[in-house]
Amino acid sequence: MEIVATALLAVFTTGYLVLAGADIGVGMLLPWLGRSAPERRTVIAAFAPFFLGNEVWLVAVAGILAGAFPGMEHELLYAHRQLFLLLLLGWVVRDAGLWWRGRFDAAWWRAGCDTMVVAGSWALALALGGVLGSLLAGSAPYGLPIVAVFALHGSGFARLRLPSSLRHRAVGSYPLTAVALAGLALAAGARLDLGHAVAGPSSLKIVTVFVLVMLPLMLGAQALSWWTFRARVKGPGYL
Amino acid sequence: MDDPVFTARLQFALTAGAHFLFVALTLGLVTLVVLMQLRATVTGSEVHGRMVAFWGRLYVINYAVGIVTGLVLEFQFGMVWTGLTRVTGDVFGVPLALETIGAFFIESTFLGLWIFGWDRFNKWVHLAMITVVAATAYASAYFILVTNGWLKKPVGFAMVDGKAVLTDFGAMLTNPAAVLAFWHVFFGALLTAGFFVAGVSAYHLMRRHPDVEFFRRSIRIGMLTVIVSLMPSVVFGGVQMPFMEPSGVETDPPALAQVAFGFMAFDWFVMAWFALGFMVIFFVKPLLLRARVVHWLIIAAVPLPYFAMILGWLTRELNRQPWAVLGILRTEDAVAPLTPGAAQLSFVCFVSLFAVLTGVNFWLLARHARRGPEVVRLGAAGEAAAPLPTPTF
Repeated sequence: MEIVATALLAVFTTGYLVLAGADIGVGMLLPWLGRSAPERRTVIAAFAPFFLGNEVWLVAVAGILAGAFPGMEHELLYAHRQLFLLLLLGWVVRDAGLWWRGRFDAAWWRAGCDTMVVAGSWALALALGGVLGSLLAGSAPYGLPIVAVFALHGSGFARLRLPSSLRHRAVGSYPLTAVALAGLALAAGARLDLGHAVAGPSSLKIVTVFVLVMLPLMLGAQALSWWTFRARVKGPGYL
Repeated sequence: MDDPVFTARLQFALTAGAHFLFVALTLGLVTLVVLMQLRATVTGSEVHGRMVAFWGRLYVINYAVGIVTGLVLEFQFGMVWTGLTRVTGDVFGVPLALETIGAFFIESTFLGLWIFGWDRFNKWVHLAMITVVAATAYASAYFILVTNGWLKKPVGFAMVDGKAVLTDFGAMLTNPAAVLAFWHVFFGALLTAGFFVAGVSAYHLMRRHPDVEFFRRSIRIGMLTVIVSLMPSVVFGGVQMPFMEPSGVETDPPALAQVAFGFMAFDWFVMAWFALGFMVIFFVKPLLLRARVVHWLIIAAVPLPYFAMILGWLTRELNRQPWAVLGILRTEDAVAPLTPGAAQLSFVCFVSLFAVLTGVNFWLLARHARRGPEVVRLGAAGEAAAPLPTPTF
């Protein structure tokens, strides 16, 4: 059971970094990928249908930690509480900027929301890079290169999604950075001593079996979302 | 504020309270949106289709802040309430895990499909999506209340070496402190949405909005929701009381708990009068459509269920003190060994952020509610839409 739970944790962690890493990266590069307000709205449309479904992978990670590895939840979060404070602030500010952007029709409002998206994305990347750096190399500043990987990953994603008029501004290869982020996630996870933090047999079984039962629905819904919005973006969208 | 325990408690109370303000409306409103979309899908009714767009947009505005505030709560357990996860994590973490996997994850994915896939799916598929969103929203509320109910009435566990170990998950799922609270919140959320829909509709009827048909139907849906959900909400709130009595465990709730309960009871009394009034107005068309005094009263009633919700939570949570988990873990032992400075930094960051979120969201909600349905356009602004920002729904 513990091996299955560990595998599930690995799936959701790598899933989060690869999927959400792309929309975080696009958010970081928003001022460069979109030079005017309508352009920026098109850039946001490149990831808008996905960000809600992407960010919940991290919620699932927190849930699996809480249920299957309760000892690790507080060890990891409390030990890195400043980084998680930054992560949460960035996450909330960024999402608020995305949701609010189209709700009021004024240039200053859109500029403010764009700023929230960019600042929030950078804060998220810094915090995630910090946590990974701390786990992999013992200190958060070692994670700074990982911040660049997020940006490059976003750029690679933008190349796949943006219309030809904007695509030339993006560089990078999405599959390459996806593999890099997945590798980082797995390497960092391998350094955690999950064994001593594992839940009791009864809790572990309930959580693991429940996740396994829900997995087809979860992945099916995600796949439906990717398939539905697979077409390259042609112009501004809902947000 | 020099006491990190007090700072951490106040932070949780304020952030959870702010989150719940959004959750209450989200839960109730999504239910009404599902019913509207069901009617629109089955009968092809044009006015119901527009109602889905208008009320659905207000729902999404509200939901957005609900989700981001919920994230902060989910992570606070590991960052601030480490004692809770250290001593009782083996039990407490299970419903939380089920909530994130079986509810939060699926709810968000399907909500994304519903919002962004507005004109891309078959109408039945699109209806199924919002139905899944509503069902998982209730699943989420249930699992959270299982978690919360366990703090109030710990069941299905054994203490082994100073740590709680889960022994009977069924007992936890059927814990009366969770199940009764769930139905209380279920009807309370409907009540919140009912007063909200009635209040916004009353505003437009008072302003003599040309689309009388739209708001006549809406206000009746809102009033009917209030009439139907008020009594069950009060009853499920009331029958919780015996289970709320501490069983052999000494508690020392602050005086505020009594005060909150008193105000809540008064608030329910006022809402009951509104529900009675609605039963009359519902059938008297001239009063419903023309009487501005009636409209004003209905608008003024919109905050009532919110007060009841917050006061109810205060009563529930304060009555357990000084215990975080009744009889097992004291609140002071549940908080991480934070320095006063660290606790204050976290407090200032989250509370100021939540204040801004609540304020801006209230403004946006009021603004979009006031604009009415005529500016609402169906369909995600995609290929065919104008290149300039277009509010979709």
